[in-house]
Amino acid sequence: MLEVEGLVCRYGKVAAVQDLSITVARGELVSLIGTNGAGKTTTLKAISGILPPAAGRIVFEGEDITRASARRILQLGIAHCPEGRRVFPYMTVRENLEMGCFLRSDAAGISEDMDRLFARFPVLAERRDQAAGTLSGGEQQMLAISRALMSRPKLVLFDEPSLGLAPNIVERTFEIVKEIREQGVTVVMVEQNAFAALELSDRAYVLEQGRVTLSGTGRQLLDDPSVQQAYLGT
Amino acid sequence: MDQLLQHAANAMIIGGTYALLGIGLTLIFGIMKVVNFTHGELYSFGAYMMYAWVMLIGADFMVSLVLAVVLGIALGALVEFVLLRRLRGADIDTTMLVMIGAWIAMQNTEQLAWSGVAKSIVSPFPADPLVLGPVSISWTRLFVFVVALVLIAATYALIQRTKLGKAMRATFQDRQAAALMGVQINSIHTATFALGSGLAAAAGALLGPVFVVYPTIGDSASLKAFAIVILGGLGSIPGATIGGFILAFAEELGAGYVSSGYRDAMGFLLIILILIFKPTGLFAQKERIG
Repeated sequence: MLEVEGLVCRYGKVAAVQDLSITVARGELVSLIGTNGAGKTTTLKAISGILPPAAGRIVFEGEDITRASARRILQLGIAHCPEGRRVFPYMTVRENLEMGCFLRSDAAGISEDMDRLFARFPVLAERRDQAAGTLSGGEQQMLAISRALMSRPKLVLFDEPSLGLAPNIVERTFEIVKEIREQGVTVVMVEQNAFAALELSDRAYVLEQGRVTLSGTGRQLLDDPSVQQAYLGT
Repeated sequence: MDQLLQHAANAMIIGGTYALLGIGLTLIFGIMKVVNFTHGELYSFGAYMMYAWVMLIGADFMVSLVLAVVLGIALGALVEFVLLRRLRGADIDTTMLVMIGAWIAMQNTEQLAWSGVAKSIVSPFPADPLVLGPVSISWTRLFVFVVALVLIAATYALIQRTKLGKAMRATFQDRQAAALMGVQINSIHTATFALGSGLAAAAGALLGPVFVVYPTIGDSASLKAFAIVILGGLGSIPGATIGGFILAFAEELGAGYVSSGYRDAMGFLLIILILIFKPTGLFAQKERIG
């Protein structure tokens, strides 16, 4: 479904991603793990079109999206739930969700999706007219996830969904990611919490200094001594 | 007392157009973070367009008003497209210098096009004022007030209710997140600058027939607009609206009870006081849209 080949991304002269290749099949949950600065977030930004790659090729469902605009990529069905949640703080919960379906014009489908999300996250329904900036971190994460789903994506990119959340919310967040995938949406997740990510994932890639150093199924990587030592702290 | 009522009525009427001017600038300066020195030139552009259509071409007053605003929107879009788009992400100093240059160029073009002689615009309203007890208001001013209120309400509705308005707010709250929602950031910048400019042109087109029009009227309009935005708090549309009225009242009462020579000074005295006692402006942050 998604193929990234020889991706190179630079911030100025500094290469954050060098010759990275990954593939994701339809319906899979694939994780990218690695330390800070390994190039995980940069990879997601290149896929969703907000950071044009310096070299390489990104193909989604047969269409080359390497140089496509963020708008076009979203239209093709890739939604990006960014690191740090990035909800619009001075807009209400409902307005944030409306931004999530900015490119859609099927009013009936939109209100149906919104009702479904409100039923699934009652706290968002309760606070629908409240400014998103006043929500707790966990609530903002639910909102950010819901906002990404409002575009009816085929593939969702999650960037550090558990970052900065209380432990019980972290667990809930991973459950939601799992549910989304069970509903047939393909997921690519970047996560520092390597153990939880690997447990959840079909396959995973280990990134170091902008390159893939290891890949395999979640189970294989959990059992790999070098992964255990470097990322699982065992 | 009668005198006070008359001053209050005058202030309300001028306050409406000041609010338009302020809302326009709060969109551009408060939200886009562009220190827009051309704002006053858009104001005088609006006034001169009114002069050109009404007095030179002889078009209908209402049609001319609409044309002046539409042309103001177009000029704003042009400034954004030609100058600001290239400066996206540039230093604030660089942008400021370019805008100062644009201001000087625009003002001199006006001088060249219209000469330095003040022009007056004849309005189609009856010359006899409307008299309500002790207060008398010219029909032209009343018209200006009503149109200003309608434009303020329309701007609110646009920002709060429409898809474009929501995209504007999203863009200036979190540009990258907005891009991820499929918003075309460049178009939003152009639209916001054009809208702010259109409001300045509307203020000029409305006040042109009330006062006289000359090439440097934009300077005091710019200063007033910045004062209103600072008064109301950066980026707050309600703040800019109320700020516009506060400035008008301060000017009118200052001119009436202190000395008309201090009309312009009153507003700035007020700004100094507010900056000393409430530096974020009266309505900062809480209700800001961007």
